[in-house]
Amino acid sequence: MEIFITLFITGVGLGALYFLVAAGLSLIYGLMDVLNFAHGAFLTAGAYATWYFTTYVRADGSLTSYAISLLIAGLVGALFAVATEQILIKYLYNRHIDQALVTVGLGFVAASAYLGWFGTDPLVVLPPVDLYNVVQIGDAFVGLDRFLYIGVAAIVLLANFLMLRYTRIGLIIRAGVENRNMVTALGIDVRKAFTFVFFIGGFAAGLGGALATTYASGVGPTLGDSFLIYAFITVVIGGMGSVPGTAIAAVLVGTTQVLVNYYVQGLGDFVVVLLLALVLLVRPQGLLGKVVR
Amino acid sequence: MNLLPSKYRFVPVVLMLLAAVSVFTPVVDDPGLQQTFAVAFLFAALALTYDLLLGFTGLLSFGHSLFYAAGAYGAAYAMARWEWQIIPATIFALFFATAIALFTGATALRVKGIAFAMVTLAFAEAGHVIATLNLWGLSNGDITLQLRPESVPEFFLGVNNTRNLFLLSLITLAIIYLAVWWLTQSSVGRVWQALRENEERVSVLGLRPFSFKLIAFVLAGVMAAFVGVVAVIVTNNANPSMGSTGTTISLLLMVILGGIATRWGAVIGGVLYVVLSQRLTTLNTEGALSSFPEWIGGPMSEPAFILGVIFILVVMFSPGGIAGALYRLKMKFGSSVK
Repeated sequence: MEIFITLFITGVGLGALYFLVAAGLSLIYGLMDVLNFAHGAFLTAGAYATWYFTTYVRADGSLTSYAISLLIAGLVGALFAVATEQILIKYLYNRHIDQALVTVGLGFVAASAYLGWFGTDPLVVLPPVDLYNVVQIGDAFVGLDRFLYIGVAAIVLLANFLMLRYTRIGLIIRAGVENRNMVTALGIDVRKAFTFVFFIGGFAAGLGGALATTYASGVGPTLGDSFLIYAFITVVIGGMGSVPGTAIAAVLVGTTQVLVNYYVQGLGDFVVVLLLALVLLVRPQGLLGKVVR
Repeated sequence: MNLLPSKYRFVPVVLMLLAAVSVFTPVVDDPGLQQTFAVAFLFAALALTYDLLLGFTGLLSFGHSLFYAAGAYGAAYAMARWEWQIIPATIFALFFATAIALFTGATALRVKGIAFAMVTLAFAEAGHVIATLNLWGLSNGDITLQLRPESVPEFFLGVNNTRNLFLLSLITLAIIYLAVWWLTQSSVGRVWQALRENEERVSVLGLRPFSFKLIAFVLAGVMAAFVGVVAVIVTNNANPSMGSTGTTISLLLMVILGGIATRWGAVIGGVLYVVLSQRLTTLNTEGALSSFPEWIGGPMSEPAFILGVIFILVVMFSPGGIAGALYRLKMKFGSSVK
């Protein structure tokens, strides 16, 4: 039972990281029909920003430096994302396959650029010592960092919810996900919302990257891509364009993966794919996705 | 070509291939170069099978590497563990790949477009995980599953016989080219192209889009598996990177660079991609990039970086790739001659 609790919370923590990547993917897809294969590159950019900041700028290992590095990683991811939207995606409106292809190319280019700049070997990022503390729950011991991932993801989920529910731009995004042509016909410039979802998607991915350096205790050129595949699975299971669905699916995927991997190394990754196949067979639109008409 | 009755239109294709063989073979006499071209031809063949899905049926799959790896591992496993000869091992590998393609295709085709891409990606990743982590002791993991020398004819073994491997790859490319050519000209192929253009109209005509897409998916998968079997002979092993998403993405790059849905575009893209990757690496080790500052020289030393940038430029500014650019040139300058 103790092991189960430890593994379960670790799984939810991993799910929280998946959520940070998948939330942006899901929103971008829901609003713009763009599957963003470069999203992993945003994550890796955030991770390298964290590495740079905590190694060269403020290497004191304090919690404050760590918090600042999270913020910087988010901004780096967001800027990268906005640049992608402004320089590449913007000129390919209504060419959905080409948009996806361009992001594939960008991911490819970014991965090799990281490789050229930082080398193949993962760079070690040392989080503050306090994060290595364990928390006792019943008889189980759980690393403090797991709660940090969950906390950050919960804040992002809440902020997303509040933004979508109570702000004007959130209203435009929700309307755009429902029917983009109608929003445009009402005279609202939906392209501002496009840039905005790229900004928040990139910010969340950058944050996820910073936290992933703690989870994977370092950053290599393919860090983002390894998260991206499971983020895709999360998005499909949760239902495209539904942020709450993504959150539920992220927890499901993270816990399944960690629990099964504990018993047979590697089998968890495989079982997650079977889970995806199962969901598609029963509910092709995903858990909370709307039915495509 | 229109002078010939449609039944015999494969004749010029065969003649062109024979000409290519007779011209190429004496020119390429260095074993290193022969190996490079052998790999290039295999990737060209693989890109063709991918074009069958992407270009001719309009299915954007990110899991094509799964079948390439399934063919390679199926054959290598049957030879190494069961000590089968190459022919039965090939047949086993093709059946193995068919079974996987039927299952994954039938599942993934329940969703469309981008979701289909993601689901195929997930399946390929599952296969890649099995191969990388050596689950159930199937794959030897990163040690790779070596080719068992006793299972293949002697003229495919050793550096002295690289020429035969070169020819084997060329023949494989020719077979795949003819198969794809024949399939896309057939009535099934016409339905695929109709599906690409407008799926609803096809179903209104009373044809089931799902079945036709599944046929395309399985056939492309089986052909990719065949290329995988040959790749085991040419490269002497089946390794996990064959099944990685990176392999599928490079196929995508080849097809888009060469030109989608033209067949020879995929061939040119495949050969160009492999040869360029190798040449760019050589250029770099010769120090051609040392004059660049570090921040730009670093990425430039990765062939994938340059190829990726070219790819983005092609997608943005030259839809249709090399084939499309040539077509536009022909339209601009050639139409008056005609």
